[in-house]
Amino acid sequence: MSSESFSIKLDRRALIKTAAAVGVAQIASPFVITARAADTVKIGLDNPLTGTYAALGKNELIGAKLALEHINAKGGILGRKVELLVEDSTSGDAGTAVQKARKLIDRDKVDFLVGNINSALAQAIANVAYEKKVFHVVPGGHTDSVTGSNCHWNVFRICNTTQMEASAVASSLIKNAGKKWYYLTPDYAFGHTLQAGLEKAAAKLGGTKVGGDLTPLGTTDYSSYLIKAQAAKPDVIIFLQAGDDAVNALKQAVQFGLNKKFHLAGAQQELEVLLGLPPEARIGTWVFEWYWNQPNVPHVKEFVAEIRKASGGHVPTARTWFGYAAISTCAIAAQQVKSLDAVKMAKAMQGFKLPPEIALMPDGAYFRKGQGQLIPDLFVGQAQSKGASDPEDLFKVSDVVKGESVAESLAETGCKQTWPS
Amino acid sequence: MTQLLFFNVFNGLIVGAFYALMALGLSLILNLSGVINFAHGGFLAIGGYLAYSLIPYIGFWGALVLAPVLTAFIGILVERVLIRRLYGRDPLYSLLLTFGLAFIIEDGTRFIWGAQSLPFQVPSWLVTPLSDDYFFLTGYRLFMVLVVGIAVAGLFFILNRTRLGIRIRAGTLDLETVSVLGVNVRLLRNMNFGLGIYLAGLAGVLAVGQLGLQPTIGASLIMPSFVAIIVGGLGSLPGTLLGGMLIGVASGITTVFFPSATEAVIYVMMAAVLLVRPRGLLGEEGRF
Repeated sequence: MSSESFSIKLDRRALIKTAAAVGVAQIASPFVITARAADTVKIGLDNPLTGTYAALGKNELIGAKLALEHINAKGGILGRKVELLVEDSTSGDAGTAVQKARKLIDRDKVDFLVGNINSALAQAIANVAYEKKVFHVVPGGHTDSVTGSNCHWNVFRICNTTQMEASAVASSLIKNAGKKWYYLTPDYAFGHTLQAGLEKAAAKLGGTKVGGDLTPLGTTDYSSYLIKAQAAKPDVIIFLQAGDDAVNALKQAVQFGLNKKFHLAGAQQELEVLLGLPPEARIGTWVFEWYWNQPNVPHVKEFVAEIRKASGGHVPTARTWFGYAAISTCAIAAQQVKSLDAVKMAKAMQGFKLPPEIALMPDGAYFRKGQGQLIPDLFVGQAQSKGASDPEDLFKVSDVVKGESVAESLAETGCKQTWPS
Repeated sequence: MTQLLFFNVFNGLIVGAFYALMALGLSLILNLSGVINFAHGGFLAIGGYLAYSLIPYIGFWGALVLAPVLTAFIGILVERVLIRRLYGRDPLYSLLLTFGLAFIIEDGTRFIWGAQSLPFQVPSWLVTPLSDDYFFLTGYRLFMVLVVGIAVAGLFFILNRTRLGIRIRAGTLDLETVSVLGVNVRLLRNMNFGLGIYLAGLAGVLAVGQLGLQPTIGASLIMPSFVAIIVGGLGSLPGTLLGGMLIGVASGITTVFFPSATEAVIYVMMAAVLLVRPRGLLGEEGRF
């Protein structure tokens, strides 16, 4: 065989490879919603689209897109069209998330950064946004430090702190289920802070911890932990797992009949998890951070109808609302000061109360001064196997808890902001 | 304490049986074709999703029979179109290919069935505990062990008593001679791959009975299966079975004493085996 024919073959391959690479590059560069124009305002969304948190990320994206539509329909930000640049942060790789954040800020020159669902990733990109002085909204990463010991002047968070969720559910649990608690806690930042919050809240009300186990993130088989939990004879088994872990743990607990012997409960619960469970496993006392079935609160019905249209008939979840509120917050901040200057915008948002068509809850929601934490209502209630009127009505709210009543004081959070001079 | 330990050993055997089922399929493919099939978890997910889609039409039992067969057909197709091309090359090539395939399958299932985990339901009489004390013994879990037992017995029957099985075993030992003797090695490898993927599909249907059905389900189950093979010994199917049971029991016992290390302990075991007896507990010397 001559070397010529070999080189031709190589060229053909090289050509295909190049073509493929170009094709991939098209997909790999950020997925831009609405057309690129010369002087648009850019919002970068750095959130999981693959991995464990893909379902949650997708719902936050649906909410974000609706907010974008609303903003552009009202003339954009400062009269300029707004575009959303979406990057996949992955579900657990902080390196990728940080690299995407830097790319959005340095190369795409975004005016706002939004993300992340994973607490660790949220904290990591918040540090980047702080370094680059970019207005940053965290839609759904809960660990306390983001607006606590590691807070920054430019970082705002829509979802609750784990401490707020814990305090909100604790009194209801002590009252209705008993004082001896056993904890099954995922072994990472989110789980640790959530358990610490619950222990503290329970101790104030006379509750005790009779045992607990840290379960590795991504555990599939919970049987050995459940064997230990029932041997401790608690009143309540507390499940702090999120996402797919929560589905696995609850499904197995109910198959073992533990729901008939103990009260199964936890702090944060999400509609995505309940939808993934078979009906008999949709049980327990939980906190929802936002719920779609609020018949007497204005604007909620319209929001639900619009999301149904955008998502093929599904109701919005708390995640959808996080995405919606996060993007809306960016637009509001700019409108307040008629500028895209991050410091000016961040100052204007201190203590700012979200308008009711964004807050979508009975008592509204505001960003606490000096912390950047949104203080909303929390919805405590019970999971239900199927809704009376809607197949996705899987939660019965028994108590709407005001965020102020459960949030730690600013001093207790440990948040100290240093503003640029 | 003793009771807790006993429960966890017992429970570990049940968990281990499941790991073994998945590991056996991996082991079959590895032994005959030298392919480290990283996409095995992906085929497991396909089995689960196919069952979910079939249940409304043919019920749980029908899906349990049909979904693994369909998965095996997909496996056979993948072997013909992709994996076959890499036989005879360094195992690294097929490892990279199947590694990529695993991502493609994960995103493919996400594209078809959505990222939201789906509520998979098994007949309710199966998922009630059989006794109040042994609450972790549900009908479903015993049934699972039974299916694993039947599959393992069937597999050993095929390998020891049928022409296909004897050829597979012979091929495992010396592929060249088998091919010189006139056996169609391509077809043999193809069927063997299908058999391995059948086991993955079966494991998939059984898994989603007690786990959530989501695109990442395969990724979370694949590593223990690899560990089972390495601990049990490469090239040995009884070793794989033993390896699966051992890691199940080991992580069960660890839960009693040091719960946050239940995942880590199986890797510690793997490292220890590799250091002390690199071929694995029942493995043959000189493979790989």
